[in-house]
Amino acid sequence: MKILVAVKQVAALDEDFAIRGDGRDVDPDFLIRDLNEWDDFSLEEAVKIKEGRSEPVEVVVVSVGSDEVDESLRKCLAKGADRAIRVWDSGVEGSDSIAIARVLAAVARREAPQMLFAGVQSSDQSFASTGIATASFLGWPHAAVVSSLTYSPGAQSAVFRRELEGGLLHEVEIQCPAVLTIQLGINTPRYASLRSIKQAAAKPIEVLSLADVSLGAADVGEAGSLSRVRRMYVPDKGRAQLIAGDAARQAARLAEIIREFKGAGA
Amino acid sequence: MSRTDAVTRILFEAFGAAEVRLFYLLGYTAIAIFCYGVYVQIRKYRRGAALKLEGGLWARFGAMLSSVLSHRTIDRRDRGAGGAHRLIFYGFMLLFAGTATITLEYDILEPLFGIRFWHGEFYLVFSLVLDVAGVALIAGLVYMMYRRGWMRLPKLDYARPDRVSGDPDFERPQYRREDWAFLWLLLIIACTGYVLEAARLVWLQGRTDVWDTRWWSPVGALLAEGLRSLGLGDHGGGVLRHSLWWFHGLIALILIALIPYTKVKHIFTSAASLMVRDPLAAQRLPRVPDSQAEAGAAKITDFNWKQLLNLDACTKCGRCHEACPARAVGAPLSPRDVILSLREFAQATLESGAVPAAAELDVHGKAPGQVAMETLWSCRTCMACVEICPVAVEHVPIIVQMRRKLVEDGAMDPLLTKTLQTIHKTGNSFGESKRKRGAWSKALPFPVKDARKEPVDVLWFVGDYASFDPRNQKVSQIFASLLHEAGIDFGILYDGESNAGNDVRRVGEEGLYEVLAAANVTALSNASFKSVVTTDPHSFNTIRNEYPDFGGKFEIQHYTTLVKRLFAEKRLQVTRPLKYRVTFHDPCHLGRFNKGYDAPRELLALLGCELVEMGRCKANSFCCGAGGGRIWIPDPVGSEKPAQNRMKEAAAIPGLEVYVVSCPKDLTMFEDALKTTGNEGKFVVRELIELIREAVP
Repeated sequence: MKILVAVKQVAALDEDFAIRGDGRDVDPDFLIRDLNEWDDFSLEEAVKIKEGRSEPVEVVVVSVGSDEVDESLRKCLAKGADRAIRVWDSGVEGSDSIAIARVLAAVARREAPQMLFAGVQSSDQSFASTGIATASFLGWPHAAVVSSLTYSPGAQSAVFRRELEGGLLHEVEIQCPAVLTIQLGINTPRYASLRSIKQAAAKPIEVLSLADVSLGAADVGEAGSLSRVRRMYVPDKGRAQLIAGDAARQAARLAEIIREFKGAGA
Repeated sequence: MSRTDAVTRILFEAFGAAEVRLFYLLGYTAIAIFCYGVYVQIRKYRRGAALKLEGGLWARFGAMLSSVLSHRTIDRRDRGAGGAHRLIFYGFMLLFAGTATITLEYDILEPLFGIRFWHGEFYLVFSLVLDVAGVALIAGLVYMMYRRGWMRLPKLDYARPDRVSGDPDFERPQYRREDWAFLWLLLIIACTGYVLEAARLVWLQGRTDVWDTRWWSPVGALLAEGLRSLGLGDHGGGVLRHSLWWFHGLIALILIALIPYTKVKHIFTSAASLMVRDPLAAQRLPRVPDSQAEAGAAKITDFNWKQLLNLDACTKCGRCHEACPARAVGAPLSPRDVILSLREFAQATLESGAVPAAAELDVHGKAPGQVAMETLWSCRTCMACVEICPVAVEHVPIIVQMRRKLVEDGAMDPLLTKTLQTIHKTGNSFGESKRKRGAWSKALPFPVKDARKEPVDVLWFVGDYASFDPRNQKVSQIFASLLHEAGIDFGILYDGESNAGNDVRRVGEEGLYEVLAAANVTALSNASFKSVVTTDPHSFNTIRNEYPDFGGKFEIQHYTTLVKRLFAEKRLQVTRPLKYRVTFHDPCHLGRFNKGYDAPRELLALLGCELVEMGRCKANSFCCGAGGGRIWIPDPVGSEKPAQNRMKEAAAIPGLEVYVVSCPKDLTMFEDALKTTGNEGKFVVRELIELIREAVP
């Protein structure tokens, strides 16, 4: 019995930051990395299921990324995951959520879990699509924004609840294996003490290449993506201006600005 | 043989051989019961974790002897109890020594070597001394009875703040019964001793060697006169002496047999506890050895033998109960009850033949003997309990070791969890970018040296609050200006500095502390400086007392010491003396932890301030409530906060103008408490640095 939990190491902006040379992302020097907040909850949900059972349940975390991600994976191992898998190939750089989902689906095929959890979204990109796209590649049933779950490992189905607008609750039964994206607040994630993180260093992090999961260069990166970041930028600010002078001069300047704004030929 | 040589203690006179044999049999039985009890206790302590003590045994013994003989620790904050205990202690010791010397001669020296010293003048003087000792003992006991029965001291009330009425271990009446039984038993032994002496005198009034020397036992002689005037003759005296002899002897033997099983054992356990005392118990917390699988104390056997001994040393005197700031504001914690709970737990589990299964040794929880997490999290690690304990019980390391287990399990306030994660991620508790650590210095008209890049004389370890809290940043800027004006060559570590970890360690997050300490030790070691200064007593404590365990030995001073020197060297001069009426709040980590009581007071005098002390000052200073990581845990709504309790104390000082602090956390806590207690406008809270600025414009 196995639960696979897909996690992501997200980036947060430091106080001052600069945009990367190609203008398509933030310079990595200015990013503070941490485990995605939603993933704390999906991992906790898996570990809770594991702890609630007497028969063995294996919780495996998987992430796509460079060795920087190991720090976050170790945190997951400290919180109770049994094993971690990291897939990396320099060609993965530039992948969108769909390409990442293809990799995750490949890992899921290899691991054959009864359940796959992912966070609803990542706090840095907020596409909220990776989990669902993974389900699509696998052809598994899926549900998004799960806020409560009743699942007995090994059972044919699981029952979960989702919160809808207007205070409505949506109770759904789903066939397993399934992909669920987990919402914040479904549980109280545990604290991984530094000591437990240190001790988790003894647990294995398996590093896989694309070939290991039967994927090729065309499956990832821009080639394997359905979207492409054009640019990342800070929108111009301070576009308000105070027009000085008496009423006539102010009116004249205002008319001039309106004409400028409407463009030539107005 | 001269007349006085014949004078000696009447021991078994007129006893039949069988009777003497019976007494010896009972005596050996009592000693056997005593020895078995001692064995059980020692076995209990040995079931605790191992610990290697630092320092020489003789030095420890000497220190213990000095504390015990002087009663210095028992006198503190309770002269009455100290005085009465001194009477009981010396009275009992002399009487015990007397009985022991009789045994020495009668059972050992005389039968084996024919040596007799128990006669003549020696006996007479001895007899007088013991008579006086008996009076001291009785006087002490009577005062203790008065104290327990009539003074109604809150600290002697065994009702627990961490239990509610109705819980099986809420009031623990068995403790009260034991207290009284002990007092009565000693009193009866002492009183029957006198009556026995008097009866013997009446019985042997015909023998001149006895009767003519009777005034060497003045109390006995007086009583004998009384008995005679009541019509007791020598025959009646003989009968009374015979029965009282047995009564007195039997209860004395019972007392001896009971020592290891009752509170009487404090005679040994308290002395032993004083002997193994760690003078830095709260200042320098124990490391978790790498070989140890689990951090912290989960089971009773996770405590070391010294801590198990500490539990038994407690005499329930209630001084820690009285001093605890958490207890004072109604939090579910009394240091006394943590100790007594664990003692009861150790007794129930570790005194039996075999140690029970691990599951039965769990000290965390709400069952009798267990300690609840609410109790552990109420602690401010302010050290008030450790500091006042007359028998060297070290509560703080016990509480922190239990917290380490809670941290490992994540059993803590969600806000604390968040803060610890933040500190791990950013190196500070404010969740600010590392790069902003030195940003406060940008507002200064001069650059502050980067001690990572150039050598400095004085390296200023700024700390989290003084770096990031806007109110405290102002104080940091003033201090920088003062150093600059005094011509001190100083610098800071900028983003090379991390949270010092003092409070992280006291929360019980030892792993995170190790990371922070290692980072700071590396940053400090890579810089070139002569000494470290800090305005933060928390950083001061951990760098001074704990970093050496992590390979960082640095000379560090609190700013009050440095500024005092700057005034002495005339590098700073008071040009505008202040005439304020002030009071000074000793920060726990500067005062109690590191004995820095004088420098701030001398500075206040130098500034021209009139210092009015609060009742609770210096060693008895009352924690602001921020210690032990409590600054990151919200206090329960509706209950009084320690800082508010303190503000009320300050507000009672007539004409108070300034409440002076010298700790960034104190400034935050008390400015808040000033407002919430409605004292805003009556007086102000100021950091000592701000007053110095005013006087040195």
